[in-house]
Amino acid sequence: MILVGELSLWVALLMAAWTTTVSFAGGLQGRADLVKSGERAMYATFAFVLLASIGLWTALFTHDFSIKFVASFTSRNLPTPYLFTAFWAGQEGSLLFWALIMTMYSAIAVFTNRNANRALMPWVTGTLGVVALFFLMTMAFSENPYERIDWIPADGRGMNPQLQNPGMAAHPPMLYLGYVGTAIPFAFAIGALVTRQLDHQWLGAVRRWALVSWFFLTIGIVLGMWWAYVELGWAGYWAWDAVENSSFLPWLTVTAFLHSIMIQEKRGMLRKWNVTLVVLSFLLTILGTFITRSGVIESVHAFARSSIGNWFLGFLVAAAVLTAYLVSTRLTDLKAKAELESMVSREAAFLYNNLVLVGICFATLWGTLFPILSEAVKGDKITVGPPFFNSVNGPLGLLLLALTGIGPLIAWRRASLVNLRRQFTWPAAAGVAVFATLVALGMRDPYALISYLLAGFVFGTIIQEFVKGVGARQSMYGEGMAAAFVRLIGRNRRRYGGYIVHFGVVILFCAFAGLMFKRDVTATVKTGETVKATDPYGHEWVFTSQGISTFEQLNRRVMAISFAVTRDGQSMGLLSSEKRQHVDSNGEPTFEPSTEVGILESPKQDVYLVFTGAVDKDTAAVHINFNPLVWWVWFGGIIMAFGGMIVMWPQARRGEREGGYVAQLPSAREQAEAGTPADALAGAGA
Amino acid sequence: MRRPASDRGSAELRREFLRRAAVTAAGLFVVTTRGVTQSGPQTGAPQSAAGGVEMTSDSYKPVRRDPKPGAKPGMDAKQVEALERNLACPCPCTLDVYTCRTTDFSCGISPAVHGDIQRLVDGGYSADEIMAAMMETYGDFILMQPRKQGFNLLAWFAPFAGIALGAVAIGALLRQWRMNAVRAEAAAAGRPVAEAGVDATPEELARLDAALREER
Repeated sequence: MILVGELSLWVALLMAAWTTTVSFAGGLQGRADLVKSGERAMYATFAFVLLASIGLWTALFTHDFSIKFVASFTSRNLPTPYLFTAFWAGQEGSLLFWALIMTMYSAIAVFTNRNANRALMPWVTGTLGVVALFFLMTMAFSENPYERIDWIPADGRGMNPQLQNPGMAAHPPMLYLGYVGTAIPFAFAIGALVTRQLDHQWLGAVRRWALVSWFFLTIGIVLGMWWAYVELGWAGYWAWDAVENSSFLPWLTVTAFLHSIMIQEKRGMLRKWNVTLVVLSFLLTILGTFITRSGVIESVHAFARSSIGNWFLGFLVAAAVLTAYLVSTRLTDLKAKAELESMVSREAAFLYNNLVLVGICFATLWGTLFPILSEAVKGDKITVGPPFFNSVNGPLGLLLLALTGIGPLIAWRRASLVNLRRQFTWPAAAGVAVFATLVALGMRDPYALISYLLAGFVFGTIIQEFVKGVGARQSMYGEGMAAAFVRLIGRNRRRYGGYIVHFGVVILFCAFAGLMFKRDVTATVKTGETVKATDPYGHEWVFTSQGISTFEQLNRRVMAISFAVTRDGQSMGLLSSEKRQHVDSNGEPTFEPSTEVGILESPKQDVYLVFTGAVDKDTAAVHINFNPLVWWVWFGGIIMAFGGMIVMWPQARRGEREGGYVAQLPSAREQAEAGTPADALAGAGA
Repeated sequence: MRRPASDRGSAELRREFLRRAAVTAAGLFVVTTRGVTQSGPQTGAPQSAAGGVEMTSDSYKPVRRDPKPGAKPGMDAKQVEALERNLACPCPCTLDVYTCRTTDFSCGISPAVHGDIQRLVDGGYSADEIMAAMMETYGDFILMQPRKQGFNLLAWFAPFAGIALGAVAIGALLRQWRMNAVRAEAAAAGRPVAEAGVDATPEELARLDAALREER
C-alpha cells in the first residue's frame, strides 16, 4: 500500500497536469469533450491523492521508519490516535493533506456543477487543476512525504509533545478546510473574469463555498485558540503570532465578502470589490502558507525553514499578476448596475463594515510583515508584538462591533429620520443601560466599558430584530412564540443565521474585554503550604499544596503538583498541573519538557494553574491566573459556528416558503408608506 | 478572446490599475525575497510547531550597571512585571519576558533577563533607565512594539492612514453613486442635470429649476 501511495502521488501529478491542460484547451476551443475529460481527470486526481494519503497513513501506522517523514514525527510508543494526526504534524504530510482537501473540494465543485455554470466550468476546473498541480509539484520536487532515508532507525524521533493534544486532531484539519475553501471561489472568479460572465450567476456558485471556508476558518481559529490556551501554558489564547495572523487574514476578507456580496445580489453594486475580495482571500491564504512554511518570519508555530517558501512566493506573485491583469481588463464589465439612493442606507453601512474589516486585515498584515520591512530598510531587527496589535486593532475591533449593530438597523436604499429614530431607540437604550449598570457596579476600565456598551447595543439590535420578526409572524399567522421563532429562522436562514453569528461575535467581544481584569500570582510552595489570592470578583482563594508526585504514563514521565482549592472557605476540589518529559521506546528523553496546565473552569472565570518547575522534591514554583470570562470565548465560537451552519443550510424551496415571513427587499416607496423596514417586510411577507 | 469595444474606453483606468498592481507585486517580491535570502534554507531534521524550536542561551546578553550610591529598589513586583511585559524574550518563544519566565521553566533566558532587571531595580534604576539599558544592549528588538519615532513611526501610521484613505475613497464613491442616481432621476424627469464645475448639488439644481418654472 505504501508503494501504491508513493506511485499515486506521481500519477496524481500527471492527472492534475492533464486536468489543467485539457480544461483550458476545452475552454479556449469550446470543445465539450475536452472539458469533460478535464473534469474526469479532476476526479481521478482526487482519487490518486486519496491513495497517496492512505499510503502515508499506512506507513505511519506500520512504523515504516524507512520513510523520513514517519521517522521524523512518530515513534513506536506514540499513542495510536496521534499516529493518525501525525499526517499533518510536519511540512511534507501537511502539504499532502492540503492537496487531499484541495482535490476533494475540487471534485465536489466539479460534480455539483456538472449541469450548471457550464460556460465557466472549463476555466474553473483548469484553475483548480493549476492549484492542485502546484501543491503536488511542491511535494514531488521538494518536500516529498515518501522520501526515504539511507538507514532505517530502530525508532522514530517522536511527535512534538505540544502536538499530542486532542485540539491538534481537529484544529489543523478545520483550518485547512477553511484555507482551501478560498480556492473554489477564486477559481470561479477566474472563470467569470475570463468569460466575462460577471453577473449574479458566478456569485451564486461561490457564496456557499465562501460560507464553507468562513465556517471552517472560524472553527479552526477558535480551536487553535483553545489549543494554545490549554497547551502552551501562558494563560492566553491569542498572541498575534505571525502564524495566528495568517489564519486571521483570509477570515477577515471572507467575512467582508459575505457582507458585500449581499449588496451585489440585491443592488448589482460592488462588483469589482467582490471579485477583489475573492481573489484577495485566496492570495492571503497562499501568503499565510508562505509565512508559515518559509521561515521568513519567526513564529513558535512555524514549520521548519525551507526552500519551499520560494515556491509559494512564486505562485503568489504569478497568481496576483494574472488576476490583476484579468480584473484590469474587465473593469467595464464590472461596472455597477445600480446607483446609491441615499448616503444613509444599508449599502453605505456595508461599505464601512468592509472598510473596517479590510482595515484590520491590512493592519494585521502590516504588523506581521513590518519586522521584515524594517530589517530590509534599516538593517535593524525589531519586534512587533501583542501591544502593537492590541493598540491598532483594538479600536478598529470596537468600531466593527458598533457597525455590527448599526448595519441591520438601517434600511436598504434610503433610511428616513423617523425610521432611524424608531430603529435605534431600544438598542441604544440597551447599550446605555449596560454601561450605567457596570459603572454603578464599580467598573472603570475605559476599554472594557466601551466594549460592554457596544455589546449591549448590538445585543439590543439582535433582540429587536428577532422580536419584530416573531411578532410579525404571530400577528400574521397566529403562531405561538416558539413556533414563530423557529419558523422565522427557518424561512430566512441567511438573515437570522447571520444575526446568530453576530450574537456569537458579541459574546466574543464580551469575553475579550473580560481579560482586562485578569489577575495572577506567582509563588514557590512546599508541601502543606498555602497560596492566598483574591480574584477579580473579590473572592478569597486558598491553594494548599498536596505535594509533588512523579509517575509514568503512556510515552512520558510526569511530575505533577496538586492543590486543594477553596473559595471563600468553600472547597472547590483539587487542581493539578504537570510537567511532562516525553521519552522514546528506550526510555530516552525526546523533546524539551512540556507543561500541562490545570484549569478550574466556570463561566465566570478560569482558575489557571501552571507548574513552572520543581525547586526540590517538596517545593514547587507555580503561576496561578484568574482569567475572567474565557469560557465565553469557546461558547461564542460555538454560537458563531452554529449561526454559520444555519446560514449555510439550503433554503427551503419557493413553494415551501410561500406564506412565510421572508425578508424581501421592499421598494423605497413601500418603505416610506410602511414607516419602518420591519413593517414593510411584514407586508412583503404577507 | 476579443476585447469588447466598450472596454477600450477604460484604457486609462486599466493602465493606472496595472501600474499600481505591478508596483505592489514588485515591492512584495523584493521585501519577501530579501527576507528569504537572509533567513536562508535550513537543512537538518524537520521541525514542526512550538517545541521544535530549540531554546539556546546564545541570544542572552548580560545587562549590568553599578548600583547607584545609597540605592533603594524603586519598583515593586507589579511594576517589574509591567516592565517585563514590554520586553521581548530573546529566546525564540516570541513571548514577553514575564510571560516566558512564568510559563516555561526550560527557558534559561527569560529568568536571566529577569535577574538582570531585578539587579538594576535593586540598584536604584527606574523603568525608563532599565529600558534604555536593555535597548543599548539588545537594540530595538527587545521592545515588544516598535518605538514611535523615525522609520518605525510608519508601523503605527500606515494602518490608520490606509483606513483614512479608504474612508475618503468610499466617501467619494458614495458621492459619485449618489450623483449618478440623481442625474438619472433628473434625466428621466426631463430636468436639467448638474454639470461638472457647477457649485450646487443636483438636488439644489432641481429645486432651482422647479422655482424657475413656477416663476415662468
